[in-house]
Amino acid sequence: MNPQPAQSEALRGGEQPVSAGQVLRIHGLSVSYPVYGQEPVKAIRDLDLGVRPGEILGLVGESGSGKTTLARAIMGLLARPGRIDGGAVNFDGRDMRALSEEALRAIRGRDIAMIIPNPRGELDPLLTVGRQIAAVARAHLNITRAKAEELALEMLRAVQIPDPKRRFNAYPHELSGGMAQRVVIAMSLVCSPKFIISDDATSGLDVTVQAQVLDLLRALVRDKRTAMMFITRDIGITAHFCDRVAVIYAGEIVELAPTGRFFENPMHPYSVMLLAAFAHNPKLREKWHKPLASLIRSQGKACEYATRCVHVEPQCNATHPELRELEPGHFVRCFVPVLRPA
Amino acid sequence: MSAVLEVEGLVKHFPIAGQRAVVQAVNGVGFSVARGETLALVGESGSGKTTVGRCVLGLIPRTQGAVRFHGAMIDKRHNIRSRDLRGKLQLVFQEPAESLDPRMRIGETIGEPLRQLDMAQVDRVKRVREVARRVGLSEASLEQFPAELSAGQQQRVGIARAIVTSPELIVLDEPTSALDPTARAEIIDLLIRLQKELDTAYLFISHDLSTVRYVSHRVAVMYLGMIVEQGSAAEIFSHPRHPYSIGLLSSVLLPNPKLKREVRVDLKGEIPSPIDLPNGCYLAGRCPFVDEQCRAAMPPADQVGDGHFVHCYHHRKALSGQVALDYFDDFQAKAEQVLGAGRR
Repeated sequence: MNPQPAQSEALRGGEQPVSAGQVLRIHGLSVSYPVYGQEPVKAIRDLDLGVRPGEILGLVGESGSGKTTLARAIMGLLARPGRIDGGAVNFDGRDMRALSEEALRAIRGRDIAMIIPNPRGELDPLLTVGRQIAAVARAHLNITRAKAEELALEMLRAVQIPDPKRRFNAYPHELSGGMAQRVVIAMSLVCSPKFIISDDATSGLDVTVQAQVLDLLRALVRDKRTAMMFITRDIGITAHFCDRVAVIYAGEIVELAPTGRFFENPMHPYSVMLLAAFAHNPKLREKWHKPLASLIRSQGKACEYATRCVHVEPQCNATHPELRELEPGHFVRCFVPVLRPA
Repeated sequence: MSAVLEVEGLVKHFPIAGQRAVVQAVNGVGFSVARGETLALVGESGSGKTTVGRCVLGLIPRTQGAVRFHGAMIDKRHNIRSRDLRGKLQLVFQEPAESLDPRMRIGETIGEPLRQLDMAQVDRVKRVREVARRVGLSEASLEQFPAELSAGQQQRVGIARAIVTSPELIVLDEPTSALDPTARAEIIDLLIRLQKELDTAYLFISHDLSTVRYVSHRVAVMYLGMIVEQGSAAEIFSHPRHPYSIGLLSSVLLPNPKLKREVRVDLKGEIPSPIDLPNGCYLAGRCPFVDEQCRAAMPPADQVGDGHFVHCYHHRKALSGQVALDYFDDFQAKAEQVLGAGRR
């Protein structure tokens, strides 16, 4: 999984958070959860983001940052009592928020697929894996059972399951975790979706298996020019797997950049702290790290990150910082970004 | 250095109901841990590392082999639960939230092991305060409940509860795996500092190699219930010999896209079932260096350096033509460059 040459337009620099040519475009999306007797918690706050065909966008955030809420809001699967307060989710020219549940159901699984962790929980224990993949294909593609099963077998081959003919008739409990995750990937790809959201999908896998699954996933996404949003809390994966990196904190994108630039020149103090967590160097830690006392939660403060930031100036507590483009395609939400000599 | 813990030829098999076959979870493991030292047991799920930890504490009986704590055998009568050893051995769990009683205040939770030792209430309160300060918990948080704390803070409570009795050995079973990276970094720094202050021996069980490199003095790499390679952390991370260690290390994804992560040993497929282990080397089915010898018999331990052992017939071949694995060092150097340069 060595870095590959730029394949997507997004990498030529200057890509805006949302722009024409992206298959998924999120505009000013806000989501909140009501809290009894208190102000609602803002889980997502005025968020702009988009993904192009063939592009893998990494969305990095810690627990409570809003990454799963975002994935569910995009899919139209926001759990009650969560509420979309405003903004638009445009997928392939359609306004997702205006669609009926029936229309959404037709899109989910066919045009948009979601891969979640715990692959065994997602599979029906009473059906063979081949039949499950075929069932997804039949539900969306209007094809015969024989044709669907043929397609399912082809998918098992594509995700490199050894001895696919035999595994077609295996039940989920007969597969290892890595195999089950491959089956879930096969299922999500069987209708050739235009957009895939992966929510921490490889976090449960062992490292040697994870490397195999990521390599495979990337090859398939590239091959079919699928757009992908890869949600993770492991910034290490994004470095080797994604074309662009977006860092989310308290429901806001705080930094967005092409992968190469992000790791070369991280500018938001939070991104720098995330990276310093891996460096295991006491001096760097002292310079950038400030512990988190409670959960990450939007506090309606001017800059949400100010409570944890190692460098706070008066304006940080007075005004809400906007996402600014500090170099082509590199956006940072900070008044005093981390600067390095050129 | 006197050994706090010595393990020799440890075997643990679990019976399967209604079958003659057994789960061969641990198959002949030996190591020792000295005062103030951290030995890391690394391996993927199913490698038997947690089972080793439980056998060491005497939480489950072993099938064969010896476990000694300061020279005295750990067994049915002498273990983490018995009166004579109570408080001297401790355990820190992976899931901080699940290992704390949700209805007990933090202060009570930390003081609970002292109650077992019949310490008077006044002394207990004093000791809990002192330990809380040590692990970076505020006085106010002692009155709180676990649900009011972040996962990182909860794990501080788990650690405070472990060190409150001044144990000589702590088994840390994936203490940072459930945490976000920034909380993980805090907990690791805390564990290192505490060890320096208290001279405790740590058995650190983890699959997170980047953390292991930072906290441990020595590393034992486990695969299917065997230690396939054991040596100093510096040696294992810069000159791994066993094909599995090399494969494992090269699968780690560090946050720098420019680092060359040449896959030096491509491990195919997945770990076989511990119910039906192959006759020869357990890695034979996945290893690129496999030959007839490997399939015929398990390779014996080969000493390749001071305290550095490898179970592999072909470790010279695996190593040949390879420069030192400098992936982690490279990453560290580059990170210091990028993160050190920024003005704050």
